[in-house]
Amino acid sequence: MSNEIRFALYSVKKNIQSSAELRTSFLMNVVGMAINNTAFILLWIYFIKSFGIIGGWTSAEVVALQGFLALAYGVVFCLAQGIRKIPDYVASGAFDRFMLSPKNLLLRVATSSFGASAVGDVVFGVACLIIYGFLIQASLMQILLIVLVVILATLIFLATVIAIFSTSFLWVDSNAVTNGFFELFLTPALFHGGAFQGLTRFIFIFIIPSLLIGTIPVEIVRYLSFDKLALLAGLTIFWLLVSVKLFFKAVRRYESSNFMTFGN
Amino acid sequence: MKEIRLANKIITKLVKDHVHYPDRLIADTFSMLARCGVLLVLYWYVFRLNGGVVNGVTFVVTAWSIFFYFSFSTLRLRDVSRSIMHDVQTGSVEVLFNKPISYLLYRFWWQIGFGLYSFLVVTIFGVLILYFLIGVPESMTLTLFLPTYLVTLIGASFLSLILYGIVGLLAFWIEDVNPVFWMVDKAVMILGGSYLAVALFPKFLYQAALYSPFGASLFVTHTVYDSWQSNWYILLAWQFFWIVFLGTVMHFLFVRAQKKVSINGG
Repeated sequence: MSNEIRFALYSVKKNIQSSAELRTSFLMNVVGMAINNTAFILLWIYFIKSFGIIGGWTSAEVVALQGFLALAYGVVFCLAQGIRKIPDYVASGAFDRFMLSPKNLLLRVATSSFGASAVGDVVFGVACLIIYGFLIQASLMQILLIVLVVILATLIFLATVIAIFSTSFLWVDSNAVTNGFFELFLTPALFHGGAFQGLTRFIFIFIIPSLLIGTIPVEIVRYLSFDKLALLAGLTIFWLLVSVKLFFKAVRRYESSNFMTFGN
Repeated sequence: MKEIRLANKIITKLVKDHVHYPDRLIADTFSMLARCGVLLVLYWYVFRLNGGVVNGVTFVVTAWSIFFYFSFSTLRLRDVSRSIMHDVQTGSVEVLFNKPISYLLYRFWWQIGFGLYSFLVVTIFGVLILYFLIGVPESMTLTLFLPTYLVTLIGASFLSLILYGIVGLLAFWIEDVNPVFWMVDKAVMILGGSYLAVALFPKFLYQAALYSPFGASLFVTHTVYDSWQSNWYILLAWQFFWIVFLGTVMHFLFVRAQKKVSINGG
C-alpha cells in the first residue's frame, strides 16, 4: 500500500512539474479560476439582497459554501483529475495502458492527469474559508470543525466523482452522459443552501449527495451541529465504499483494443 | 448560395447524428434538470416565503425568464471558442484554412448544428412542462411576444457566436484561452440573468445588463417582462449595434490571426 501511495505522489509531482512548464498558461489558469469562482459569490449575495435571509443563511454562509466547494473540487481535481478523463480514455482505447500497469488501477488512473485551474480553486477555497472565519469570528472549535469537514467534503466529492465517471463503461457517448451526471451533482451544490427545504433537501443529501459538499459543512460549522457531522461522516464512508466497488465492477465491461478493429 | 448549401449540409448532418445517438440529449436533459429545474424549485420556495412578489415581479415571470436563459444555453454556442482553440493547438486550423470555405462560418454553422437538436427538444418539452405547471405570464400572450422573441433569439445566437469567436481567436496569441473564456462566460452568466433573474438586479447591474454585449447576448430573458413591450426596439437596436461592432472586431482579429499561422510541415 505504501508503495502505491508513493507512486501516486510521484505521479502527482510529475504532473505538477509538467503543468508548471507552461508558466504563463499555468498562472493564467490559477488566477482565471479564482476570478471565475467570485461570480457565484456575487450572484448569491445579490440573491440574498433581493429575497432577504432564507433558512438563516447570510452572505457569510454563501462565502463559506463557495469556499468548501472550491476546496473540495480543487483538491480532487489537482490530485486526481484522471478520474474525469475516464470517458476519453475509454472512448479512445487509452484505458489499456492503465489495465496493463502493475499499480493499483484506480490510483493509477486518478493520478494520470493534473488540472492547473484546480490550483485556483484551492487558493480561492482557502481564501473564502479564512474570510468566513473572520466574518463569524470563529471559535477554536469552529476552526477545527472547518478543517474536519473540509476533509470529509473532499472525500465525498472524490467518491461521487469516481461513481459518476465509472459509468463511462456503460455508455456509447460516455463523455456527454457522465458530464451530464456530474452537472446534476455539482450544480445544486452551488446554489444557496438555505433554500433547500423538505423534499429537495432529502433528495440532494441522500440520493444525490450535492449538499454534502457545501451546504451541510456550512451548517455544521455555523450551528456546531454534531448530528449533521455524524451524518456527513457516515455518508462519506458509504459513498467511498460504493464508488470503489462500482469502479472495479464497471471496469469489467471495458473492451480492450477499441481501435484495433479486431473481429471486424 | 454556396455558403447556404454548406450551412445546410453541416447543420443537417449534425442534427441527424444527434438523432441517432441520443446520449447527448440525455446529457442536456440532465444538465437542464440540474440547473434550471432545481433552481426553479428553489425560486418557487423563496417567492412563497416572500408573499409571491419580489421587486414587482412574480414567480411565473421569473421562472420563464430563467428558463429562456437555460434553454438558450443548450445550443452550446459558447463552445465555439474551445473548438477554435482546439483547432489552433492541434494544427488542424491550417488544413481548414486551405479549404475553399470560410473557416469562421464553418465553425459557426458546426456549432449551431451541434446544439440545435437538443435545443429544440429541451425547449419544446420545457415550454410544455412550464405551461402546464405554472402557466404563462400575460406578457407572453401578446402578439408582440413571439416575433420579437424569435428576432432576439437569432440576434442572441449571432452575438454569442461572435463574442465567443473572438475569445477563440485569441488562441492565436495566447497558449490557453480558457481563463479568458471563464471571465467572458461568467459575465454572460451574471448579466444574462441565469441564477438571478434580470428583474431582481440592483440598478447598476441592470444598466450593465442592458448596455453591455454580455447582457445583450441573452436579451431573450427580457422578453417576458412587461418592460419589453415599451423598450423592445431599443434593446434590439443595442443587440444589432453589438453584432456589427464586435463582428468588425472579430473580422480584423481573424485577418491578423491568419497572418500568424505558421505551417509546421511534415
